Amino acid sequence: MTFSLWRGLAVGASLFALSAGASAADDAAGDLPLSLRLSPGQYKQIIADVFGPTISIQGRFEPEIRTDGLLAIGARSVSISDTGIERYDDMARGVAAQVIDARHRDTFVHCKPQAANAADDACAKQFISLIGRLLYRRSLNENELGTQVRVAAESAAKLHDFYAGLSTSLAEMLISPDFLFRYKRTETDASGQRRLDGYSKASVLSFFLWNSVPDDALLKAAENGSIHTQEGLQRQVDRMISSSRMEGGLRAFFSDMLGFSEFEVLAKDPTFFPRYTITVKEDSQEQTLKTIVDHVMVRRGDYRDLFTTPHTYLTRSLAALYNVPLPEKTDNGQPMHWQPYTYKEGDPRAGLLAQASFVALYSPAGRSSPTARGKALRENILCQKVPPPPGNVDFKFVQDTSNPQYKTTRDRLTAHRSEAMCAGCHKITDPIGLALENFDSAGGFRTKENGVVIDTTGELSGVKFEGPIGLAKVLHDDPAVVSCVAKRAFGFAAGRLPASQDADWPKIEAAFKDSKYNVLELMRRIALSDVVYTVPARQVAAAQK
Amino acid sequence: MALKSQRLRHLVCVLAGVGAGLSASPSHAETRGYIVSWFATATNVVDFKANCPLDKNGGQVNLNVRQLMGIGYTKEEALQIVQDSGAQLTPEFTKRINVNAKLNDRPVPIFNYPEATEDPQIEMVTGKFAYGFDLSSKTAQKFEDPDTHQMIDNQLWRAVGCLDSFRAVPPGKPYPEELSWNLMIDSAPGWSLRLVGDDLSKDGKVTVILDRLTQHLQRDATGNVLSNATYIMESSKRSHNEFQAEIKNGMLTITPKDLYLEAEHPFYFDIALKNAHMRMQVTPEKIVGYWGGYLKWQDFAYMYTSRPANGADSIGMYHALKKMADADPDPKTGQNRLISGTYRMEAIPAFLADDSGKIVAVPGGGEESTVAANTGIKVAN
Amino acid sequence: MRALDKLNRRRVLKGMLAGSAVTVGLPILDCMLDENGDAFAATGAPIPPRFATWFWGLGLGEGNWVPKTAGADYQLPVQLEPLKPFQKKMNLFSGGEVFLDGQSNGTHFTGVQGIMTGKVVGTGDYSNSIDTVVGNVIGNGTRFRSLEVACDGDPKACWSARSDNGRQPAEISPHALYARIFGPEFRDPNAAEFAPDTGVMVRRSALSAVKERREELMRDLGAADRQKLDNYFTSLRALETKLDVQLQKPEPLPACSKPGELEEEKKQVLTMATDAMERHNLFAGLFAHALACGQTRVVSSAITAGMSGLLRQGDSTNHHTYTHEEPVDATLGYQVKCAWFQSLYMQALHDFAKAMDSIQEGDKTLLDRMVVFAFTDHGAPRLHSVRNYPIITLGSANGRLKTGMHIPKPGDAATRVSYTVMQSMGVALGDWGTASNKVSTPISEVLA
Repeated sequence: MTFSLWRGLAVGASLFALSAGASAADDAAGDLPLSLRLSPGQYKQIIADVFGPTISIQGRFEPEIRTDGLLAIGARSVSISDTGIERYDDMARGVAAQVIDARHRDTFVHCKPQAANAADDACAKQFISLIGRLLYRRSLNENELGTQVRVAAESAAKLHDFYAGLSTSLAEMLISPDFLFRYKRTETDASGQRRLDGYSKASVLSFFLWNSVPDDALLKAAENGSIHTQEGLQRQVDRMISSSRMEGGLRAFFSDMLGFSEFEVLAKDPTFFPRYTITVKEDSQEQTLKTIVDHVMVRRGDYRDLFTTPHTYLTRSLAALYNVPLPEKTDNGQPMHWQPYTYKEGDPRAGLLAQASFVALYSPAGRSSPTARGKALRENILCQKVPPPPGNVDFKFVQDTSNPQYKTTRDRLTAHRSEAMCAGCHKITDPIGLALENFDSAGGFRTKENGVVIDTTGELSGVKFEGPIGLAKVLHDDPAVVSCVAKRAFGFAAGRLPASQDADWPKIEAAFKDSKYNVLELMRRIALSDVVYTVPARQVAAAQK
Repeated sequence: MALKSQRLRHLVCVLAGVGAGLSASPSHAETRGYIVSWFATATNVVDFKANCPLDKNGGQVNLNVRQLMGIGYTKEEALQIVQDSGAQLTPEFTKRINVNAKLNDRPVPIFNYPEATEDPQIEMVTGKFAYGFDLSSKTAQKFEDPDTHQMIDNQLWRAVGCLDSFRAVPPGKPYPEELSWNLMIDSAPGWSLRLVGDDLSKDGKVTVILDRLTQHLQRDATGNVLSNATYIMESSKRSHNEFQAEIKNGMLTITPKDLYLEAEHPFYFDIALKNAHMRMQVTPEKIVGYWGGYLKWQDFAYMYTSRPANGADSIGMYHALKKMADADPDPKTGQNRLISGTYRMEAIPAFLADDSGKIVAVPGGGEESTVAANTGIKVAN
Repeated sequence: MRALDKLNRRRVLKGMLAGSAVTVGLPILDCMLDENGDAFAATGAPIPPRFATWFWGLGLGEGNWVPKTAGADYQLPVQLEPLKPFQKKMNLFSGGEVFLDGQSNGTHFTGVQGIMTGKVVGTGDYSNSIDTVVGNVIGNGTRFRSLEVACDGDPKACWSARSDNGRQPAEISPHALYARIFGPEFRDPNAAEFAPDTGVMVRRSALSAVKERREELMRDLGAADRQKLDNYFTSLRALETKLDVQLQKPEPLPACSKPGELEEEKKQVLTMATDAMERHNLFAGLFAHALACGQTRVVSSAITAGMSGLLRQGDSTNHHTYTHEEPVDATLGYQVKCAWFQSLYMQALHDFAKAMDSIQEGDKTLLDRMVVFAFTDHGAPRLHSVRNYPIITLGSANGRLKTGMHIPKPGDAATRVSYTVMQSMGVALGDWGTASNKVSTPISEVLA
């Protein structure tokens, strides 16, 4: 069944090679950078992990690029623009000023300068080597330390303030490439093979599992070499997965995979969707992440059941959007709380795809789009590529809402698909998207459009089904669902897709299956696999599809 | 079509987990939940000239002139002072105006002692129309209700209807009420309205139940009140009201009875109507209507005199209300203590729970609510 | 509540425009300019040209917008009527095409790729847009190499790109842009006193420390990572330049005045076209002041993303969807609902030009000294075609562009307009673009 669909796709893909061919060609050329620019989420997480949550970050980050379905892979191909560095500079100075302000300085600067209005190299060095090791994910060499201490000293002398000097030096470290880019450095092991050095390995691990920098224990494992032994690696991975920071990694991975960065530019027309407030927009992302964390980490559930799980969390505003009751017995004037909520069996609003983080995220501001939802589902959940629409197409039938002949979106899209040129793409997106038409552009539940009952029959991989519940069940049984999340988790760890010559890859997939598709186990298995730490002599050849 | 609705019926049956589909007749009473989402004095200013032919009350300038004349200036002098002082009278004048009440021959603040201030004789409504209900046999003072064309009692409107700040057309509210509504909505608990009946999609007998909520209203993305949110009702019986009612052609009327709902100043202290009447157009998505009856005119006046900065001539209003009060004479003085009046209100769907968190009413209409009503409800502590 | 918000924005907007008007009224200190009014007398340095790109999404309508006659005094099509007051100061180019050379038409992208970067490549590469090329010639030594804004809240909607992969992040908040340009770091060029800021000096020398370690950083890296790091260092140089500029006493600029401060926006992402237009006008005012104050010489604006998601009040269908769905009116020859959006965008372009034109520099206005290059992603919007592009320029590049004309070039490369404009800005390129989009001669009718 999957095969026939792919044949359909291939026809489209050859017509529209634009994005389909791009990544494969790049990988084959083997000249993609290995370094990754820190994501906005990582930047924020690092500052919180290193300096605590009271340090605020003001400013906007550079746009990210999504490659092979993940920003974590796109992070390889992005550098920093003029405008970008100006913003990083602003953020860095803001962070540094807070770190050394009167309220925080004693927490981070563990020595007292000889005079508060002059340089003190010894004290500066102590601070810089401590913080620098965390920020750069490695110990600073003498040369680097010397430079940073000198910057602090010169600045302290000019500004007559020891702490201002530290601030200048810290701000400069926060815009340096060592901080903003994650480099992979190699070394030769005892057998003469090239391998990632311990620090680089520790970084891969910590950004994968925690979406942040290694902690002291992990850096020590890098420094003493134990990270290179299977036993040492396992000890670290087990420790990290059971750490409270693991939730951050899981959230970051799914935010990336589900395309949550697009929330930044999402808005709904309040005239038509008054219940879609700013709070609801924020809450809907949190709802999904809470559902996932609960399902994966607490319930140790099967990934496939995420699409049908009746268990979720709601706030009163979200409940109003979904039209479900959520009594909250807090005093008047108290903030709303998250409450666990369980849908009764058969409720179409159960499962991940019925949440506003999917149905509203992939809809224009004014009305729903089965095509956009179907495309997002193919690309984000099934790892299948949907070609972009061609130019010079006559869209005359599509959704001419004034035409009394075509009352529902299904009617209008059916008319549009009668055009041969459009049929190829739309038949792979629309049948799944139409099954979600019970959800309006903002995620609200409905059963009618323009007075006509919405037909939510759909088809995926040749299986016909009815409505969101039917879709979720078909997804549950589609092997592409589990293979997709595995590939994306690998990509999130490695910054590339698994390739055919990655010998360990089938074992990871098998282990995932044996764990009854528990994502935590999948991440553990990936973290323990050599394949994410291999050094590409050349970039991997054709990515495994 | 037939196929589709069949499928839908099947879907709903599955969802409901019981045999009660859309077309099946309900085996038990239906309870729809609403919250009051709009509330204000009922205005009627379609034709201001007809209401107030003298157009004498004017706005802030006229008020200031009247106040200045009250402290001894001639009309010409007063006009000149107003013109010279720009947007606001200077403290030099306001200080004197504000103590222009006399109690035992001593000057006292006018807003604390409006009864000790001279009546500025504001113009009152002489037009023909106002919203309301037929409450009494006093035929001389009646208005005609523009909707029902019945002759009705609304002396409150007669007293205040020529003031600038009451020249509001819904969804606008009289200016001071608009201000306090927007101030209070985010903190003061709201009111719920429940409709209980065998089949609310049809005409027939129903019960209207009003309660106070324990929570304030939530707003939606447009700044209006959010629909379909969940609220817990107060368990106290103080603001609990039940009315026998009937729906005819979608219009609900009640069997008259006293009404009491607690509120929070400065919006209203409370809504207390003697011999309350109601008329509400009911749809699953919205209720719009009028509540009328007799209310304490002094409470109404106090809403304005206690916040004199709202542009209304609160002293003029005080005296007008006092003069127009038309019920419940004080046995000693003969002064009426109640005045006939009408509020306009709107309500939108909501889930309503009792104080244990049990859902007792759901939004009306549509298959959505059928789904909603039959989903699992889990209440957190 | 909403009504109040609106009122505030309007008031701010009005205040802003009033601010510009004050600028007009300022006496131009002609003693500071030479006899022609085109150069500073003290240094003899010519008043520099300035450059703006201005993007709107989804073209102008099918074919009917093309005026019947070429050259001067042509009849403005209905979609362009808002630009009537500037007809003498603008040029309308029609007929230009982006050649795909076998690549697919990536809607809302490929056409812009051609017009702005001169090439059509299927890899999604978008770099070295014309504003960057122009900026390299005219933009050196200013505090900001360039400024970019997007009016609908999408920071990716603007089309300015350096040699890096990816477009520059655009500012979406006028409040934030104000803070960047006219915040505490702003040095009034006309202030009598100047003392370099110690804090800036410290930062400047700290930056040198990163640069010193460049070789060390490069050592272990492969070629691609080096390239990426090179791009980083290029950006770092721009930051150094910004600080250097702040450390030097600026050249006095009589036309410079600091605009009034702006309120923080309540919403970031916009859905209403009219809201985007209001935000655009705030940006335009800030741009005019920033250009007059020498803070930058190159600005870029996008009123919508290519796939414009903007709505008209009370209508749930967005502009982009309408381009696909709305039938072409048989009598009028265009899509009526789409034309509403097009007229609004053209009104915004008018307002942009007006903001520039209201600043007087010597005997010319700021607009006269610059070129506003207005472009779109598609020719016929309904078909999302890459033919018959409307391209509009406003301003005469310090007299190097003749204006007031309609220049029809059916079937010609649209890149020729870009090339001509770059030449008017002093960019010396023998040719520009690749494959069929490569051009080597400018449009002589307009180049003075």
